[in-house]
Amino acid sequence: MFKNTSGSSRIARKALASLAAVTLLGAGLVGCSSASSGGGTLTYLTHSDSWTHADPNRNYTGQHIAWFGSYMHRTLTAYKRAAGADGSSVVPDMATDTGRASNGNKTWEFTLQDGVTFEDGSAVTCEDVKYGVSRTFATDVITDGPGYAISMLDIPKDKDGASVYKGPYKSDGNDTAAYDKAVTCSADNKTITFNLSRAVGDFNYTVTYLSFSAVPKASDDGDKYDMHPVSTGPYKIEKYVAKDEMVLVRNDKWSKDSDPIRNAYPDKIVVRFGLAEEVRDQLVINDSEPASMSLDGILPTNLATIFDDAGVPVEAWKDRAMNVYDPYVTYSAVNVEKVSCVQVRKAIYYARDFAALQTLAGGAAFTGDPADGVIKPLMGLDYKKTTGYEDWKEEGNAEKATALMAEAKTACPDVYKKATTTGLTFDIGDSDTNKKAATIWIDSVKKNSGIILKFNFIEPGSYYSVVLDPTKQGDLSRAGWAPDWANASTVIPELMLDGYGFPLSRAGKDPTYAEFKKRAEANLSEPDRVKQGAEWAALNQYVMDQMWIIPGVFSKTQEMWGSKLTGVFFWEPQGAPSFGDIQIAK
Amino acid sequence: MFGYLVRRIATSLAILFAVSFAVYAIFALLPFDPAALTCGKNCNNPAIIEANRIRLGYDIPFWQQYIVFLGGLFAGRNYGEGAAAINCPAPSLGYSFNEHECVTTLIRQALPVTASLAIGAMILWLIVGITLGVVAARFRGRSADTASTIFVLIGTSLPTFLTGLLLLVFVVIKWRIIPFPSGNYTSLFENPLEWAQILLLPWITLAFASAALYTRFVRNAVIETLSEDFIRTARAKGLSEKVILRKHTLRAALAPIATMAGLDFAALLGGSILTEKVFNLPGLGRLSLSAVVEYDLPIIVGATLLSAAIVIAMNLIVDILYAFIDPRVRVAA
Repeated sequence: MFKNTSGSSRIARKALASLAAVTLLGAGLVGCSSASSGGGTLTYLTHSDSWTHADPNRNYTGQHIAWFGSYMHRTLTAYKRAAGADGSSVVPDMATDTGRASNGNKTWEFTLQDGVTFEDGSAVTCEDVKYGVSRTFATDVITDGPGYAISMLDIPKDKDGASVYKGPYKSDGNDTAAYDKAVTCSADNKTITFNLSRAVGDFNYTVTYLSFSAVPKASDDGDKYDMHPVSTGPYKIEKYVAKDEMVLVRNDKWSKDSDPIRNAYPDKIVVRFGLAEEVRDQLVINDSEPASMSLDGILPTNLATIFDDAGVPVEAWKDRAMNVYDPYVTYSAVNVEKVSCVQVRKAIYYARDFAALQTLAGGAAFTGDPADGVIKPLMGLDYKKTTGYEDWKEEGNAEKATALMAEAKTACPDVYKKATTTGLTFDIGDSDTNKKAATIWIDSVKKNSGIILKFNFIEPGSYYSVVLDPTKQGDLSRAGWAPDWANASTVIPELMLDGYGFPLSRAGKDPTYAEFKKRAEANLSEPDRVKQGAEWAALNQYVMDQMWIIPGVFSKTQEMWGSKLTGVFFWEPQGAPSFGDIQIAK
Repeated sequence: MFGYLVRRIATSLAILFAVSFAVYAIFALLPFDPAALTCGKNCNNPAIIEANRIRLGYDIPFWQQYIVFLGGLFAGRNYGEGAAAINCPAPSLGYSFNEHECVTTLIRQALPVTASLAIGAMILWLIVGITLGVVAARFRGRSADTASTIFVLIGTSLPTFLTGLLLLVFVVIKWRIIPFPSGNYTSLFENPLEWAQILLLPWITLAFASAALYTRFVRNAVIETLSEDFIRTARAKGLSEKVILRKHTLRAALAPIATMAGLDFAALLGGSILTEKVFNLPGLGRLSLSAVVEYDLPIIVGATLLSAAIVIAMNLIVDILYAFIDPRVRVAA
């Protein structure tokens, strides 16, 4: 899942499921109070004008998945609501268990438990889940959601590589039979079976995604469903107006008996959209709205009010703020097709003044640690510190960068000439901070390696549509990525394999790609999770050896809330607070 | 008079038509592919962009798109097929895939917010501006005049967003004189008290800078009128200063103020972007701002056309009123 690094207010955040028992700074349960109870109005404050998507099939942002998953949309399985690594366990949600695999993990069955209903009281059936999943195939209408159903289900592809099934809205040239074969329902409409094109040992993690939610066909009106999705959870929408507010009220058809993992504490939940950033922060800082929580990051100018220099909440804020590692790894993808010289790629990595960039972004206590690849340490089994770059220095290593460029001059003279004369184009979102960062990149890389960088500032709204288009992408592109669940199968293939989700590095054009591809594809079907994890770690090293990306940081995020809220904890697998567990103190 | 009215209305319609073509052409000829802005991350797939191009009608030549657009104003438009089909009834200005709504509906929702803001602010700035302007002129060179000059300086120096932010942070958040509104906007007809409470600070913010300008303008106009011959004649006839000010000076001095206020009001109806943004009001200004940021072309075209229509309409109204007031205008036209 990608991160919008372009300065847009719609920051995409995605899930990280931690298998490691890593203690996060301030990430434990905070704000506990014995005087908590149900009732009251819980208010969320945000600078955004609306949710990126409320339609479950289009939701691909960790924070939003956590929010809607807590209040409205149930899935076949879900992450356990617990602080720390325990929260990464998968538990049954609408299903009776966490799924039954057969056929060498190529067939998965889930049976719906009794009592699961939509907000009108009608029972959720297998056909409703099947219909919901089918909508993700209508990629021209149901945009932005994850494409796992398309890539995993056993449905043939046409000559362009697109699925022959085009979703439920098209009548002509649409192979509905192929979908009906890949996803089947039992006679009692209670058991759904997914037939996959390859073995997926952790498909029960895949179905934690809201894109595998149930959608009642009668209520579906395509794009407009984004404004009035039907609830299966403890709350339903009373009002949703973009640039104004969303109001959730209790769903009286929801039963705790059929949903042991969710809580329904407040009577009402309100989201206030479009608040000026300073106003949003001041409302929480001054505790003007004591039953409110900010959904956004804290303005850098306000961090010193809440945290000390080490990033720890000061005494007055110890129960009202957290500073934690979020799921993302930021990086600069090097377009291997255009910069086909590993020495030049490495020279940029060594030449960059990382320390200056980090200071610009607020300092290490708030931005995170230097990344050493695309897999974060929180991934446990899949992470191993990469080696070979012990001589990398935060302020840049001019000696090493110069030596690499000397090698490049003979090994790949064309790329060397381009890098040192016409220069390399660096795609980045158009924002004030990015413009300041660009000057650091340009100065330090030129000074330490002789490489010329030219920045292409792209309007944030069209950033990814530009850089994902090979004909428009520059030589380097800024990006961020988080795993979709606790397996680097959602990182390494997605970022590096041709035909997967986010191939900004165009690694398929590298001479060493064939071996990498063979190993990565084989590892997707590896049944032994320990072996699989070790191989992902090795492939992360492979990525760094070839310098297909220039790593940025294992990033951090800050959260704050009003004095009346209790039960707030960081829900690691979603990289967000566990919204459903937040209560209002009496 | 009837002929004059017909001519002015026909001219206004022709201008509106020309503006609509120009606006549509500008956005159609910009180097952005509107189809590529409707599919999010899926836009890395040319087939999806092409499917959207056909669905949204961007696959036909520009002039045909414009005719379809005009047709939509009178007959409505349909997009897509099956359960995902979208119908935007007449007058259709298109469909926004960012907002998931027909543009006409979005404008219909936003216009009352902006109108509430504009009307209230205009009443406030006219009251303050005219009163202070007259007082300053009446007591020219004295402390009241000096005080009004200070007010004008502050009002014209402070940017609207800063005034709004200061009011919000101090009056609402820190001093808690006014409670933080329970919602971003409430209709006048639903809850008049809450409507006024939500709009009070935005009215003050918006009126502050305009009241300062109007104070200066009214002061100068009154001083200028007070030096006219007919005022001297009135004084010679023995009329009191109060009567001269109220019956003769103000009537003459405020005529151009009415024109100015009409055009300012039209501009405000097009959207008060900064005030709406700071106070989080879901009006036309914020709708237009987010449309520009997100390259939401149907909204940009719709909002621009609406603004143009309002300005043209206000000009038409002012011209017609002038024609009623001054017959020489009709003859000249």
